[in-house]
Amino acid sequence: MPEAKSVLLNVDVPAELADLARAEGVRVETAWMIAATDLNLAGSYEPVYLVAEGERLVTIARPKAPGEKAVRETVPRGEILEIRTRQGVGGGFLEVRVADMYVEMLAYSNARADIFHKVATKLKDWLAGQTPFIGPEDDLDPRRCPACGMPLQFKGDVCQKCMKGGAVFRRVITFMRPYAGKAILMMLLVLVTVALALVPQQLIRLLTNVVLAPEQAGNRPLPFGEASVWLMWLVLALFTQVLLSAGVGILTGRLSSVVGTQITYDMRNRVFTHLTRMGVDYYDRYNVGQLMTRVASDTEQMKSFVNQLTGGFLAQIITLVTVGIVLFGLNWQLAAITLVPAPLVFLSVMIFWKRIYPRYHRVWDANSKLSGVLNTILSGIRVVKAFGQEPREQARFDTSSVKVRDSFRAVEFSVSTFNPLVGVLFQVGGMLAWFVGGREVLQHKPGGLNLGDLLAFLGYLGMFYAPLGQLTQLTNWLTGFLTASQRIFEVLDTNPQIVQVDNATAMPNKGSGVTFENVVFGYNRHEPVLKGISFEIKPGEHIGIVGKSGSGKTTLINLMARFYEVDEGRILVDSVDIRDLQLDELRRSVGIVLQEPFLFRGTIYANITYGRKDATTDEVLAAAKAANAHEFIIRHPLGYDTYIGERGAGLSGGERQRISIARALLYNPDILVLDEATSNVDTESEQLIQQALLRITRGRTTLAIAHRLSTLRNSDRIIVMDGGKIVEMGSHEELLALKGLYHRLVKIQTELTADPAFRMAAEMSAGEKKKEE
Amino acid sequence: MDNEQPKTSVTDEDRTKIRYLTPEMCKIHVGTHGALHVTVLNDRIYGGVYAAYAFPVEHAAEYISLMRSTGSGGPDEEVGLIRHLEVFPPEQVALVRQALKRRYFIHTILRIHDIRWDHGLVAMDVETDKGRVKFLMRWQQDRAVDYGRDGKVLLDVDENRYLIPDVEELPASERNAFTRIVFW
Repeated sequence: MPEAKSVLLNVDVPAELADLARAEGVRVETAWMIAATDLNLAGSYEPVYLVAEGERLVTIARPKAPGEKAVRETVPRGEILEIRTRQGVGGGFLEVRVADMYVEMLAYSNARADIFHKVATKLKDWLAGQTPFIGPEDDLDPRRCPACGMPLQFKGDVCQKCMKGGAVFRRVITFMRPYAGKAILMMLLVLVTVALALVPQQLIRLLTNVVLAPEQAGNRPLPFGEASVWLMWLVLALFTQVLLSAGVGILTGRLSSVVGTQITYDMRNRVFTHLTRMGVDYYDRYNVGQLMTRVASDTEQMKSFVNQLTGGFLAQIITLVTVGIVLFGLNWQLAAITLVPAPLVFLSVMIFWKRIYPRYHRVWDANSKLSGVLNTILSGIRVVKAFGQEPREQARFDTSSVKVRDSFRAVEFSVSTFNPLVGVLFQVGGMLAWFVGGREVLQHKPGGLNLGDLLAFLGYLGMFYAPLGQLTQLTNWLTGFLTASQRIFEVLDTNPQIVQVDNATAMPNKGSGVTFENVVFGYNRHEPVLKGISFEIKPGEHIGIVGKSGSGKTTLINLMARFYEVDEGRILVDSVDIRDLQLDELRRSVGIVLQEPFLFRGTIYANITYGRKDATTDEVLAAAKAANAHEFIIRHPLGYDTYIGERGAGLSGGERQRISIARALLYNPDILVLDEATSNVDTESEQLIQQALLRITRGRTTLAIAHRLSTLRNSDRIIVMDGGKIVEMGSHEELLALKGLYHRLVKIQTELTADPAFRMAAEMSAGEKKKEE
Repeated sequence: MDNEQPKTSVTDEDRTKIRYLTPEMCKIHVGTHGALHVTVLNDRIYGGVYAAYAFPVEHAAEYISLMRSTGSGGPDEEVGLIRHLEVFPPEQVALVRQALKRRYFIHTILRIHDIRWDHGLVAMDVETDKGRVKFLMRWQQDRAVDYGRDGKVLLDVDENRYLIPDVEELPASERNAFTRIVFW
């Protein structure tokens, strides 16, 4: 056996346990692999070691009681027929097949699943008589963050733990760079806005002390005419302030809107462009609804950042500091007294956001669940009615509706109690100012507070409390903003798994032969769907693929189009690994007709030319004619200009399929892939589609998956898959002669289609589908 | 050759029916290599059997399926379904319970000592039936899924499972702390 250098697959067994094992005939020092698990077979945490010796597998663990042995299980290699891992719930098992049963060798929690998947691979090599290679690379795991070791959701995912809030904030600032000039201008305008807001109180003070009540301020009363002139100028000054404030407000608002919407637009486009670059695997892992939220809503948060710079927290902070200085400048003793409730305001608002704000989340959750229930019920209304379940659905809807009502009520009760109470605190500050300041005015002390000062003070006090309340929401806004930004950067930082290599080669264009070489692939960890697939398709050959559901047929096609990357082995097109080919050329060479054709909202013409915008009208007509679609299109009042709805609404299944075939035909791919292209249509449509397919597959390399085996009868070869493996391959006649799985499937289908009841049911089902559409 | 079928102990006709296992017709025992075996009267001995709940939430003590792998990647087959486990002899009940414990490695959360949100991750420090555990969970709806009426199953970053059978049963402060973050 080669020298083991891996840490994970060559763990150190505690000396005491090694001694005990040695006493029982297990020499850990000569084992070629030792792996540690965290669970015992009773489902409890306990360190258990798998010791792989030359001719047997042994599990050892520290004895729990005197008299117990260290060796838990021993299975000689000669008795083992198969080795595998089996997924449980929250963990898994390493199993060996002995005679006709699987024996659990050890259990592991999901934290160790990666290790034991590797262990199983090594053991399979060992069982096959090969020499397993164990090296330091076995310790590497592309599904873990190289920096902190945290498991990632998939290879190439971004580690959320390593992506800190500060970093997010810095990156948002970098997005602002192109708008730095405008941002600085906006901040200057904020300063002007705050400065203008301070003016009216000073004018009121002057108005009171000079014009309206000069005696109380120790000033000489002015004659009526002079007082009127003063009055006119002061009112004019107030009006000017109002006009200037409005002007600055308009300018700030427009500038903020320009910058905010532009940043949002940039970010939205950036996220969408990145999403279009992501592989199909990415969409398997993420909910499309969540991704839509990221593009549509989270990017809107960028605008909030700009708004905060102009009218939000920046303005509030400047106002708070400036007004605070003015208040203390006017009368520091009074300022100190009236600020007594300020900490209480701050504290109560903090409590509000911590305790009450989360209730808004519940409102959001209840609302989204209500929408979900409503969507389900209305989408399935035919089933609801068919089973007479309207009262039951009414009750289900009612339960969700009650949750929305109650969650709203809980929030609104809290808010309607909180706001008046905080209002009282504000009023207490004002009352203190009135009482203490009023007394000082009445005392007429020389150099003391006069009526004008008091009125100005009260005006400033109102300006001071307003931002104080709002500033307490800073944490909340910041959290929401950083979370949304993080979600955006998470998308932008996720590298597409399917990337084109540097110096990728053009398609060889030799005739499009395809070779699968020992291909292993699984969508989920430790669950391979394809288990060592090898076959060759000659250029122009028509290959049929049959097998039970879940046997890996569609996966073959997904790999062929490089929607996913193979885990092991390789796929060659004209002897070139598809990973070395230019991605767009590869996709250009492979045309796919799916079981559920996806048509976009738009005209029939736009859908047919989807893959080739440069197609001429004559080419479109020819493609539609060849796909047996032309006649039904012409029957529509608007012909090719007929606008079809979401996912092809307004057309029958067969019509949709024929448009998708026309689309594929116009695309003119070297390799054509048909994935159950006729399984969802009635017999008449099927016949039309089959005629079309016959035309477009002639002389073209074709892979066709079909459940109706009769449709594959004319294939050059048929591949029969079972359990992720190719179990039979040959022509229809050869496979029938084999009397294996294909023969059995054909026999079952022949018996079923001969059964009149089945035939009638199948026709009715297809007819019903057509009617529904 | 036409009539050749893969040799299985369950006929195609049987596959459409549930076979309920009762103490009168079967015995659950440990066989070679410590594997769980079921001997069915007038049928055969099934080795390498594992147990699975049919209704883990609604009927956790009933409807337990005994399954076995048929080998070479084929689908697992059901040996039979136990409607009421308690009617079996205690030693057989214990064997089934052990098998269930093996298959379902789930931590049941008894107390929440601490829960914090940190930019897309939820850090939890909890007391479970398997001891005190600290774990990290992604702050995503599919990582904290409903369990029954008021329960939640949490999946940490390693996909280990943590069960809160009834969130409403948690002490008020812990429940509030939890629902403030896992609000769905």
